[in-house]
Amino acid sequence: MKSQIIAIAKDEWRYWLRSKLALAVLTLGVLLTVSSVIVTTVKTMELDHQRAELQNQAEQTFTEQPDRHPHRMVHYGHYAFRTPSPLSRLDPGVDAFTGNSIFLEGHRQNSAMFADQRQGTALTKLGSLDPAFIIQILIPLLLILIGFSSISRERESQTLTFILSQGVSIYTVIIGKLMAMLAVIGLILVPILVSAVVTVIQGESLLTAMSFLFGYFAYLVVWIILIVLCSCAMSKNSESFGVLMFVWILFCIIVPRVASTTAAISVPSAGKLESDFEVIAQLRKLGDGHNAADPAFAKLKANLLAQYNVDSIEELPVNFRGTVAKNSEAELTNVLNKFAEQRMSEELAQSQVARQFGWLSPVVAIRTLSMILAGTSIETHHRFLRETEALRFEFVQALNQVHIDKLSYQDDMNRNVDKEASNQARVSAQNWQVLQDFNFTADAPAKRLQYSFWAFMQLFMWIAALLILAVFIGRRAQ
Amino acid sequence: MSSLIKSLRREWAFMCRQRYILLLLLCSIVVSGFAVVSGINEVNEQHATIERLKVADEIDRQDAQHKHDDFGMLAYYTFHLTYLPPSNLAFAALGERDVFPWKHRVRMLALEGQIYESDTSNAELAQIGKFDFVFVISALAPLFIILLFHDLFANERANGRFDLLVTTAHSPISLWGARSIVRFGSLFVGLLLPFWIGANISGTAATDVFIVTFACFVYLVLWTLLSIWWGRNATNSPWVASGLMGVWVLFAFIIPILGDLAINQSTHAPKGGDIVMVQREAVNDAWDLPVTTTMDAFVATHPQWQDYTETNSMFEWKWYYAFQQVGDQKAAPLAQAYQQAAKNKYDLAGFVSLLSPPLLLQRVLTRAANTDALAAFEYETQIRKFHEQLRHFYYPPLFKMHELEASQSGDKELKQRLLDTMPKFEDVMQGQVSKTDTVSNTN
Repeated sequence: MKSQIIAIAKDEWRYWLRSKLALAVLTLGVLLTVSSVIVTTVKTMELDHQRAELQNQAEQTFTEQPDRHPHRMVHYGHYAFRTPSPLSRLDPGVDAFTGNSIFLEGHRQNSAMFADQRQGTALTKLGSLDPAFIIQILIPLLLILIGFSSISRERESQTLTFILSQGVSIYTVIIGKLMAMLAVIGLILVPILVSAVVTVIQGESLLTAMSFLFGYFAYLVVWIILIVLCSCAMSKNSESFGVLMFVWILFCIIVPRVASTTAAISVPSAGKLESDFEVIAQLRKLGDGHNAADPAFAKLKANLLAQYNVDSIEELPVNFRGTVAKNSEAELTNVLNKFAEQRMSEELAQSQVARQFGWLSPVVAIRTLSMILAGTSIETHHRFLRETEALRFEFVQALNQVHIDKLSYQDDMNRNVDKEASNQARVSAQNWQVLQDFNFTADAPAKRLQYSFWAFMQLFMWIAALLILAVFIGRRAQ
Repeated sequence: MSSLIKSLRREWAFMCRQRYILLLLLCSIVVSGFAVVSGINEVNEQHATIERLKVADEIDRQDAQHKHDDFGMLAYYTFHLTYLPPSNLAFAALGERDVFPWKHRVRMLALEGQIYESDTSNAELAQIGKFDFVFVISALAPLFIILLFHDLFANERANGRFDLLVTTAHSPISLWGARSIVRFGSLFVGLLLPFWIGANISGTAATDVFIVTFACFVYLVLWTLLSIWWGRNATNSPWVASGLMGVWVLFAFIIPILGDLAINQSTHAPKGGDIVMVQREAVNDAWDLPVTTTMDAFVATHPQWQDYTETNSMFEWKWYYAFQQVGDQKAAPLAQAYQQAAKNKYDLAGFVSLLSPPLLLQRVLTRAANTDALAAFEYETQIRKFHEQLRHFYYPPLFKMHELEASQSGDKELKQRLLDTMPKFEDVMQGQVSKTDTVSNTN
């Protein structure tokens, strides 16, 4: 049995080496994969370097600002950049579609700016030269070209009857052909393996990298089973080819886009601009933090006066304007976060709807799995938004604390009187050290694995379903 | 003539008995129908969003105008909605609207700090791309054509009917021509019918419908001829289809990807981050610079205000808005280079698309639907223009309020009288010269 399988696999290999088409297709597949890995790696490393440098620069310029009124630094703001994860060189995911830098300032949550896609050529709307796209979409097509006739060819030339009449089981033939195709997968995944090893050396977790590779392996296994089974079920080469082509169009071209369109329709998301109006309405109730005389802060004032047992804000040991700024920033951030969380959960719900289509097409399953494990999915972008928000809140409140503690109320009130008073209403530049270093990394390996659970299940379901189908097809062909 | 009709009728009857072809035709109607329905849905959603935004924007602005009397405060707290409504053809070509923003709120602060904000949809969905009509025609339809036509001859040869058919037919045209026309016609109608219905619902201009129909016709005929020609001598239909698929992959993926790489390598653009950095530094440094430095830079581009630049206090709104504008001026060279680079890339991509029919079709149709990058650039120009009008609207009350108050006449309150002349984005959109333009020209 084992030797028969190997003999059949070897025979298939010999056939490919003789046939120019198979050899050309195989060479093309390996070439495409290698070039995509190289191009994307170079690009990602460039981006990584660029953004890390910009981040340092932003931190440096912030801390190097001269003595100022602390609230000026709240408006001066800070920039945060999303550095790509190591595995993003294999699947850049949403990186080019979301902005990769964000301006952090007081009183506002800005959206990410400068999505690469907006400065792009729009040529890569159908596909781009990244390994994920090549392996998810193009390699299955090449596998079809190599394998569509694997069994139907033997049937057309009557050799299948000959093999079967010698007592070889049809399942042996199927497994043999699968073995041959498995070698093709192995060959095509070599560049990905090498690249994944490099990412592990550069700090990616071994478990994530291995799961990533395994996911792609399982995905391509789905395809080769599909191809060999189709070739076994159809009586003619041309039929097998037609059906496989149709399946490829359906899985790779139609279903993913139907998934995204369906998701957008079934979970409408208002967008930031629209929810901002509600934010504004709620904020108005909170009062303007720039204006300590705003009636909204009367209660805060009364509390403070009572706490320090004084009669007027001038007598307070702390700067009342700073206290108002800090308080209103905290309340405002609560409102902003509420809406931001709502928006993110809407987006996530959309993505979840799209991901359910993984039960209908293995391409959707591998896309999800790949982006999540590479740390380039929408979840990672949301975490970037949350972490930058935390960073924003931290430095703004730290500056407000400086405002409260280090600047007297009198000096603060007189800040616009004349040049001297303006200089008096400043604090030392040493206070700008409150800024925390920002270093964005992808989700922890365990988390990414957890998120990718259902995508793995979808791929396993595909393999299991195809194996069950194999039993029926084999019985019919026997 | 009648023989041709007879042949057509025969081939039609023949086709109706081929389940495989009927399935493919049904499939083409379904995918095209889905694309059109979802496209219309998306466009309606965008229109509805704009309407809701307009209402909310108006309320918010009224509120700000009610709350503040000082024009400095008014300018600071009043936001203005700008938007790019989808055209009547947008349902068929959603284009770049999921990447470029089509709604934006701006105020009188430095524009460079505001204009790069984006309020786009879910990035993960944008990355997959939309399933719109243009996608169906440019990417999917060629595959259907390949499936329909690659075995036109090979199938008959493989079945051993080829010689019989050729000898019994009147002419090759009446046989293969009629068969091709029937197949092509059915596919073409199947693909375009949902579009025609959608165009009717959306009120698309007849010329646009004609352009789209014509472009699709030419494009699909080209693929059909290529498929027939490629398979003219073949006996092995999978070989023909493989070759045609190779051509499709070349056109749809390889050429665009190589073009994209080449263009990105050859075009150098300033980093977006640098623009906002320059703008921020300029605006923030201005607080510590002498007022005259800012005012000199401001007056250099706005000479009409040179007699109104003296300040009496450490903070005056006119100075504040002057340094906002100076910040924009400092960032302007970078911003222009950034925009120019994007335009250059768009132009270069035009040359690449000449080598790739699917891209060319996408480009032509998204242009017709005004949903391409060019439309987004145009929208950005409109925002810039509107922002300029807004500045010129606020400058008189900021710089010479006393004069305005002195010359006041009529019963209306000055504030209201001024607010009545506030520029509207709709005027910019329609290319009209706003009232403020004339006001600032007379200054």
